[in-house]
Amino acid sequence: MNRTVKTLITVVLLALLGGSVFWALKSTQTEQLANGQSPSLSLPGLRATQTVELSGVIALDVEPFFKDVRVTKWLGDNGFKLNVTRIGSRDMAQRVAASGGPDFMFPSGIVAANQILDAAKRANQTATQYTVFFTPMVIASWQPIAEIFQTNGLAKPLQPGVYAVDLAKLVALMQAKTRWKDLKGSQAYEVNKSVLVSTTDVRKSNSGAMYLALATYALNGNELPTDRATAEKVAKIATDLFKRQGYQENYVNGNFDDYISIGIGKTPLAFIYENQMMAFALSKSLPKDMAILYPQPTIANKVVYVAMNERSKRLGELLSTNSEMQNIGVEYGFRIADSAAFAQKAQGAKLNVDERLSNLIDPPSFETMSTMIDVVTREMAQ
Amino acid sequence: MKLKFGYASLLAAALLLGGCGKDSKPPAPKVTAAAASPAETMPSLSVLATSDLRDAQPLEEMVKKATGVTLKFTFGGTMESTEQVLTGKTTADAAWFANAKYLLSDPQGQARVKLQEKIMLSPIVVGVSESEVARLGPAWADPSKVTWKTVAEAAKAGKLKYALSNPATSNQGYMALVGVVAASTQKAEALTAADIDRKAVADFLRGYKLVGDNSTYLAEKFIEQQGIYVNAFINYESWLLSMNQSGKLKEPLKLFYPREGIATADYPFMLLSDAKRVEYQKVVDYLKGDEAQTWLARATLRRPVNPNAASAVTFPTATLIELPFSPDRGLADGLIDAYLNEFRKPIASTFVLDVSGSMNGGNRRADLISALHSVAGADVSLTGRLARLSSRERIWMLPFSDETGTPTYFELPPATTETNVQKKAEILEQVREYASGLTMKGGTALYDAILDALIQMSAAQAKDRNYQYSVIAFTDGENTKGRNLTQFKEAYAALPEDARAIPVFTVAFGEASDVALKEISKLSGGRSFDARKTPLPAVFKEIRAYQ
Repeated sequence: MNRTVKTLITVVLLALLGGSVFWALKSTQTEQLANGQSPSLSLPGLRATQTVELSGVIALDVEPFFKDVRVTKWLGDNGFKLNVTRIGSRDMAQRVAASGGPDFMFPSGIVAANQILDAAKRANQTATQYTVFFTPMVIASWQPIAEIFQTNGLAKPLQPGVYAVDLAKLVALMQAKTRWKDLKGSQAYEVNKSVLVSTTDVRKSNSGAMYLALATYALNGNELPTDRATAEKVAKIATDLFKRQGYQENYVNGNFDDYISIGIGKTPLAFIYENQMMAFALSKSLPKDMAILYPQPTIANKVVYVAMNERSKRLGELLSTNSEMQNIGVEYGFRIADSAAFAQKAQGAKLNVDERLSNLIDPPSFETMSTMIDVVTREMAQ
Repeated sequence: MKLKFGYASLLAAALLLGGCGKDSKPPAPKVTAAAASPAETMPSLSVLATSDLRDAQPLEEMVKKATGVTLKFTFGGTMESTEQVLTGKTTADAAWFANAKYLLSDPQGQARVKLQEKIMLSPIVVGVSESEVARLGPAWADPSKVTWKTVAEAAKAGKLKYALSNPATSNQGYMALVGVVAASTQKAEALTAADIDRKAVADFLRGYKLVGDNSTYLAEKFIEQQGIYVNAFINYESWLLSMNQSGKLKEPLKLFYPREGIATADYPFMLLSDAKRVEYQKVVDYLKGDEAQTWLARATLRRPVNPNAASAVTFPTATLIELPFSPDRGLADGLIDAYLNEFRKPIASTFVLDVSGSMNGGNRRADLISALHSVAGADVSLTGRLARLSSRERIWMLPFSDETGTPTYFELPPATTETNVQKKAEILEQVREYASGLTMKGGTALYDAILDALIQMSAAQAKDRNYQYSVIAFTDGENTKGRNLTQFKEAYAALPEDARAIPVFTVAFGEASDVALKEISKLSGGRSFDARKTPLPAVFKEIRAYQ
């Protein structure tokens, strides 16, 4: 069922975009079209005749979007009355209930969305995913750090303040327990600490899971682990990259908050969603000396609306297709299929970004991801 | 305080129930509407806060004015508050800690916290009396080179004598120990229990001259003793900057930010009660807004997280390299246990026990006995180990009624060998038996007993100065025999200086006169506690933190 609708969304999107490649959906799209189920179409954008009340749990990242007056007005115009509660993305799967659960869930990323789908399946519920926005995973960093990386052959500049960082080299460097002061030309950050990317807790957060996906890709010789044995092996090795960090923040903004408020002394490298940086740049002034590193490759995190029943499907369809809603999403830092809209906003916020994102991988399958998270969770407890 | 709190939430619950009844009791809509309206029109949020946040209390007014939410703080130590949230004992709607990483590295703690936002920052730093910096040695000439190792070395050499909150109860004290361990091991990432360098910790603690549980108490003592017994204060930057600003110090403190050893308090404001999401969000939005952030920066000298308030106060801008916080419970347990049982100056105290006839009234005798049992027992909670008698401790039990009785002496062995561990258990058993055997009769010669205890403690101190001496008096009543308060004060003033330096802690139960007990404890630099308001085991925990 959910595949049908996802296929449908893709079809609608492709139609809307005049066939331009919405690559963030590309891989799943092929798979779903091959599924051969024919979508039944309900046209989005039609004014509703009666009000639909929906309860939802939403992630911190999408909360400002729902609070936007234009969004609330639009929701009302389209016959929706929402009652949303913000909770952690990875706590959402626990809220799946045979009855009385939320009508929809809007986590910050694909890992959490897949967990919800899986929980729904176990509870004999039908859940349907709609990719509303996407955002690449990036490393928030600092000019002196980026320059040290450049000196050591790990990064190359793309634009002022924007660097491409070689994921495989970075992971190898961290695995080797290299200290900052051991790097060439590290005078600007001559620190005894190991080079480590700080992340949020992989056991609790979607972004932590994204980091695990990237690290294991690198550890597996630039290939996604596909079988269980390989997944277990590389996840076990990757555990070190989490464990050695010490305490990790377990709410979505914790890591980025440290980056912004404490700065280079605590978080020389913070693994975040690009939308966090962009949203900040759109509302406040970014710290001087900041730099964004785009791992090569990185993952484009899909921000997925999950309808938990028939009643809540229409909202998902609308959010993912309505151009007004899509453009408001950009104002909260997300990317949409229309890459020019995003680029323009970034420019307005004086934030340089990598517009093209030429080197992307898909996250591993849900099963592989779950296996790997389980391994890290187990190893972290020891 | 706590009782009131509990009552308030019961009341709130009753009001809510009243509100819920609206559907089931349609005939009486007016009454239910009236009952429900105060809860709707008077939104409130009760907050359990760490005691270093007392200076932020004016926010209660500010929040009320700006958001309409009635904010109510109650304060406690970091460890104690952490435990209250972990165990779900607190009835507070929200918690605001200097550092919640102890809480949030525990899965149970994570489950209690529904939402969190960091409000402000303050790093833990070392403040040294300006004129004394030069005397600490050449290692201190360049402040950017000073590490926790430099600090420990100066302490070992007897040059650095500092005030610090108790490492077993406070974030500042604990993080200072972690800093010392990190600097000595030169480890490049988060520490584990295996990294504890006992020698480095022992060196650092040689300079620990002023012990206390809360910063206000320490500040008062520091002002008295600066330049005489102490020349440094380890605390939050905000606290030390405020002391410099207060004009009460004999001379200002120069702040050192230990290189690669910074632990920054980030003050997360945490929602505990799902039912208070709306109020929580209003309060957080206000606290992170320009007005509150600017006020916090100016009035409390903590660093704002809102960049718009950054210009309110100029803070030192050098890059501060943060210590990774270790979520390893083994490290925390190991360090705190080592501190209490091995490294800290061991405790020697006389328990002055009121065994007058009036102690038979109410539950007083049973309360006293059970308190002594718990001190000599095995409370394994996070804070329980603090209240427990620790290795190397010396205790004199001194009962009194019409006159001072005969002291009974107990000494706990160091927990170094299996035999000693066994012996410690046996002695604790003896303490419990002693307590069970107490019989109560006669009058209350309280002041005489306290004087006798002080004289005896000061004699013990003259023989062995490696202990921290104190007197703890437990009483339920007015003084009815022997010296009166005026005579006590005269006799006290005539005591040698050494004896007057020993703090007297008083614990009141029954109808004991608060005023007189407070006066005695204040006179001696101790503290008075009220067992009618705070359960005795909790009182013990507090007393220990001052010893």
